[in-house]
Amino acid sequence: MARSSRLHQAEHRWALAFVAAPVLGYVLFTAYPVGFALYTSMTQWNGLGAMRFIGLDNYVRLFGDQYFWQSMGNTVFYMIGIPIGLALSLALAIGMNRAIPLRSMLRTVYYVPVISSLAAIAILWQWAYNGDFGLVNQFLAWFGIEGPNWLASTAWAKPAIVIMLIWKGLGYSMILYLAAIQSVPRSLYEAAELDGANGWQKFRTITLPMVRPVTFFLVVTQVIAGSQIFTEINIMTPTGGPEYSTASSVFHIWRQAFRYQDMGYGTAMAIMLGILILIITLVQFRLNQRNSFVLD
Amino acid sequence: MRKSRLASGMVAALVLAGTAACSAGSSTDDDGKLTFMFRGGEDEKAAYQEAIDRFSADTGVEVEVIVTDADQYATKLQAAISGNNVPDVFYIEQASLQSYVTSGVLLDITDLVAESGVDLDNIWEYGVDSYRYDGKLQGTPDGALYGLPKDVGPFAMGYNKTMLEEEGIDLPDEDEPLTWDEWLDIMKQVTKDTDGDGEVDQWGTGLNVQWNLQALAWSNGADWTNADKTEVTVDTPEMAEALQYIADMTTVEEVTPSSEQQATLDTYQRWMEGELAFFPVGPWDVSVYNELDFEYDLIPYPAGATGEPATWIGSLGIGVSATTAMPEEAVELVTYLSADETAQQTLVDAGIQVPNLKDMAAEWAAEEGTSPANRQEFLDIVEDYGRPMPAAVTYGAAWYDEMWTNIQPVLDGKQTAAEYLAEVQPRMQQLLDESNMQAEQAAAANASE
Repeated sequence: MARSSRLHQAEHRWALAFVAAPVLGYVLFTAYPVGFALYTSMTQWNGLGAMRFIGLDNYVRLFGDQYFWQSMGNTVFYMIGIPIGLALSLALAIGMNRAIPLRSMLRTVYYVPVISSLAAIAILWQWAYNGDFGLVNQFLAWFGIEGPNWLASTAWAKPAIVIMLIWKGLGYSMILYLAAIQSVPRSLYEAAELDGANGWQKFRTITLPMVRPVTFFLVVTQVIAGSQIFTEINIMTPTGGPEYSTASSVFHIWRQAFRYQDMGYGTAMAIMLGILILIITLVQFRLNQRNSFVLD
Repeated sequence: MRKSRLASGMVAALVLAGTAACSAGSSTDDDGKLTFMFRGGEDEKAAYQEAIDRFSADTGVEVEVIVTDADQYATKLQAAISGNNVPDVFYIEQASLQSYVTSGVLLDITDLVAESGVDLDNIWEYGVDSYRYDGKLQGTPDGALYGLPKDVGPFAMGYNKTMLEEEGIDLPDEDEPLTWDEWLDIMKQVTKDTDGDGEVDQWGTGLNVQWNLQALAWSNGADWTNADKTEVTVDTPEMAEALQYIADMTTVEEVTPSSEQQATLDTYQRWMEGELAFFPVGPWDVSVYNELDFEYDLIPYPAGATGEPATWIGSLGIGVSATTAMPEEAVELVTYLSADETAQQTLVDAGIQVPNLKDMAAEWAAEEGTSPANRQEFLDIVEDYGRPMPAAVTYGAAWYDEMWTNIQPVLDGKQTAAEYLAEVQPRMQQLLDESNMQAEQAAAANASE
């Protein structure tokens, strides 16, 4: 460390000031809240009065809470939409990559749900799922299918929400896939064509591996976002659905913390959820490493 | 060189300013102003603003008003309290009273109210007692006072007078409650297809179990807990009978729209369309129902085995912050909003509540040519046969909500009420035990602070 020169001293001060800004920001807005949450999760606290330290009691209680596990199960169910959504958006992206008429308009149309207000979308879909007057059932009726009363049925409420989530996420994944497909070197396809590969072979051995980093990125971010799903659930089924069948983990946490003023327990569940998300993400990274390849 | 020192100083100052901004601002500083936080629709906001303006003119105390939408109120108040930014005066729900008191958020206003000269005997006992808490039980007449009622909300039974007259059915008596059998009889008579298209389009009623089981259960001799609020008592034959009666209306007797029909258009809308003969009516409904195309009136809730009607009364209170710098002025505002005649008149005229003052209410009920004609029923409920909601007087509400979470199979006729209640009682009991334990521990923790 050269502290001799005056010039360096001045530079050090500068450096410290610039380092201080993000460090202070991190301490104030990340480290402190996380530490506070960890402590809160080990207390009994109604958010108003004194906190009472109770050790790991909240975590023990969580294991016996049937609604916590039910809501975890519901949350996992919603993830079914992720592979379906990815497959659909990849197919769409391939379609949109071709010279079809109205291409830019279609791209825009698929992207509109992504930039729309989540609350507005949830309310629209709530209407669309109405048993008698809803668009969805009217559409099904054209084909002679009598649709269920989606959001009021324990069997159909979750699939209904999955369909909505797929629809909502399609545009975003499609745009990313489109960009990835367009950056695949033409030469690879040309070489494959010379070797006599057909369309499917080209897709399977060139396109799919080449968009792999995007797929990985989408899976990781969507699993994380899916674990935290709340707004749609809270608007479309404000009581957690018939027999709690649509309640997501975050919905259950929110209910404990803000309806029952049980901040300590709510925080403990939130931390548990955070740990689970972390584990799942680590597993995904590990799997990705194992299957990755390097293109020379 | 100088320049660089100045610049690095500025960066540091900016960071500090950012943190300082978080801790600034408290409503209870000595600026000689009261803050009042409440919620309500447009009518209510206007009526309250008028009342508050007159309060300021009379007393010279300025009031800063913070008003929120109904569904955001609890969250915003909670945030204000966590941020040590408690308004001086604010609405308080019956159900949150105990946790607010044990957490030291609410001021004990017993003495200040006594000194203010308000005649508490002229305000509904139910309304005042709802905000009394003796450290163990809420609603007891000798507990310390932590608020005054903003209003009382008696939940009465109403009927479509026009429909019953058209069907040639004798109108139900205003004083003698119908028995469940008589009630069912009338409902069977009116349930029919009126336009001949082969589908029933007029029904007896359509009751939401969450808001109506209380009335039927209580009048049948059942209750949710024992008097000490320590034992959950929903697994009794009386409770089962009441719940089964509601379920059977739809699945066996078919005097209500089916659950699919109710999911499509809820019974509140159907009542307003004139499709239902009976439907509950609260004071907050009156201004809307008076615009409907049919006449309606109030009757006592049909009575079960006890022969006595029963129903619940909602209430919202106005409390004072324990940390207010101006307790006298704050209590003055509370008594003004709760018990001042002119203020009450403004609110009653807006058609959103019954008067808090007994003498005023008696005149209000005796007015001729009003709609509904039998306004007296609201007052009978408040004075005589109404009770607080089961969870309004316990520390937490999770135990009570548990009752509704899995109740749908009973309403669909897939499970009997007795089976369900036997199944749900242990879960409710466990949650109530937890909540009572939390209440004790919270009280102990706050006392030792």
